[in-house]
Amino acid sequence: MMKFKLLLLLAVLPLSMLLLSCTSGKEKPYKVSRIAMDTLVSITVYARSEEKAEKAMDNAFKELNRLSDLLNFFSETSEVALINRSAGVSPVKVSKETFEVIEKALSVAEDTGGAFDITIGAVSSLWDFHKKTLPDPELLKKSLKSVGYKNIVLDKEHSTVYLKKKGMKIDLGAIAKGYGADKAVAVLKNNGIRSGLVSVAGDIKTFGAKPDGSSWRIGIKNPRPQSEGEELIAVLSLGNNAVSTSGDYERFFIKDGIRYHHILDPSTGYPASGCRSVSIITKEGVYTDAFSTAVFILGSERGMEVMRKIGLEGMIIDDEGNISTTEGMKGAVELVRKH
Amino acid sequence: MESRDRYRIALLSAYALALHGFEALIPSPVPWLRLGLSNIITLVTLFFYGLKPALMVTMIRVLLGSLLLGTFLGPAFFLSLGGGLAGTLSMGIITALFPRVFSMMGVSMIGAFFHNVAQLVIAYVLFVQRIEGILAVAPFLIAAGTLTGAVNGVASRYLINEIQKQHSPALSPTEPI
Amino acid sequence: MRLNSSGSTKTTFADKLVLLFFIALSLSSFFFVNEVLPQGSEVRIEVAGELKYTLPLSDDRIISVEGPMGTTIIEVKNKRVRVVKSPCPNKICLHQDWIERGAVVCLPNKVLVTITGPQQKKEIDGITG
Repeated sequence: MMKFKLLLLLAVLPLSMLLLSCTSGKEKPYKVSRIAMDTLVSITVYARSEEKAEKAMDNAFKELNRLSDLLNFFSETSEVALINRSAGVSPVKVSKETFEVIEKALSVAEDTGGAFDITIGAVSSLWDFHKKTLPDPELLKKSLKSVGYKNIVLDKEHSTVYLKKKGMKIDLGAIAKGYGADKAVAVLKNNGIRSGLVSVAGDIKTFGAKPDGSSWRIGIKNPRPQSEGEELIAVLSLGNNAVSTSGDYERFFIKDGIRYHHILDPSTGYPASGCRSVSIITKEGVYTDAFSTAVFILGSERGMEVMRKIGLEGMIIDDEGNISTTEGMKGAVELVRKH
Repeated sequence: MESRDRYRIALLSAYALALHGFEALIPSPVPWLRLGLSNIITLVTLFFYGLKPALMVTMIRVLLGSLLLGTFLGPAFFLSLGGGLAGTLSMGIITALFPRVFSMMGVSMIGAFFHNVAQLVIAYVLFVQRIEGILAVAPFLIAAGTLTGAVNGVASRYLINEIQKQHSPALSPTEPI
Repeated sequence: MRLNSSGSTKTTFADKLVLLFFIALSLSSFFFVNEVLPQGSEVRIEVAGELKYTLPLSDDRIISVEGPMGTTIIEVKNKRVRVVKSPCPNKICLHQDWIERGAVVCLPNKVLVTITGPQQKKEIDGITG
């Protein structure tokens, strides 16, 4: 009879294997990339069925398009454009999303002593990184007078935004993408997705854990790749967090040996110097996006101070290529060795 | 080995070879899918004479079959040789370890399984070297092998029954070699 | 007879178990293999949100698509993809050069080239910067 029991066991074993493979392997990754918010957006979700994944991702893209319609600096019809047109004239009633982004932008401005300033719009519109020309210094000096976040008046009760000075322009470009990632994640969660990743350009927010229990692996771009295969400088393990990176290599031109990039210092109106790239990690994408810009402008030393004070994790690559990370990042970041 | 036994092995090998050649004429929907009809003869040999003659019949069938079909020392030859040896060996071992537990149907299915596993391993080592390809066909080979194994096993049982009834002089019972 | 004829010529309980075992084994291995096997990566080319081409990453070829600004030429070679020619003014897509994963996008010409496929364990989930 022993033999029969043994045989029975042999028959039961693959059957249980079958059941196991049916139950455990059901959550599969689905990834879709589309153009939204004027940039490349990639969404990854783990879901049981393709329909569920696609429906959730579709809704997330719809949300991003809706936000883009509200927050786009370059669109004539956005709420941001309306606020800018009404500068020095009247307060503008806005959606709670626009209000929330501006409110958070002001809190970051306060935290960084004005290094992050959305009223940079008046100056940033003078810079053209396609034509590779410097703005007229006189004009820049004049426009710089319109920069100052303290001249933004928020009225929470009536949900209005008012720019006190004529000529003032707010540009949410350094905060809207991270905010979009947060909102897209919220939509995915509402659609019953338990784990996924949203990447709006380089602003990434993750939630949940991958089915195999491993953490999300996010590559940080190498600001100065010398050759092929050096695309990444580090790989970050991220769980339930957001990460953003601001770098001087994204939009720039080099003239007379000087690199002019798109991250402008609100105090000078010229590109901030001192860093090549700053990555910030915290819970919300709206903050990682804004603080990565702010810390970049502050420079390596003062930037680190602010990060410590506020409790942000991150990595700074200074203008000589030195990499410094916060204490909490140690172990979560692995530098990619050169091959 | 008596000359009478040699004669029987030769006769059985001829039967196996005939079935092997016959099977080569049947068009197969998928190249790796084979009925393995000659295995019926291997099973009969195993039943009446034991493992060693069964191995001999298999070897003769594989060697002569490949010479006749022109696949000698080609990929198909090595697959056939390895599969045949593994299948016959496993069947001999299973009947020796568990006498009377399985009928020839069970023995045949087990043989077919090891036949296929051996072929997959040989295919991987010698030809394909891509585990994806091997893994992709493995479930189908196991399923097909179980089916053809069962059919061949049942066929061999009929054959054994008939032979036992008729007490054919060529295949009269002998002691195991 | 060397062997007991009834034991070897009638289907036994063990036979049925063996049959069951192998059927279960082939089924479970089928599902197991389906889970484990990497399907080949694909290149998707979209223009203005509309899928134009889907092709395997393993096939080397050159493809041109028409966007609102003109013709964008995309090359697939050695399991990598790049934009060879683009009518856009900033040429960011050209500077991205070869990619093995992720996407190349040309915003002005509304061309989006993505590499899709199941991710391996050590694969990167996203890129920041």
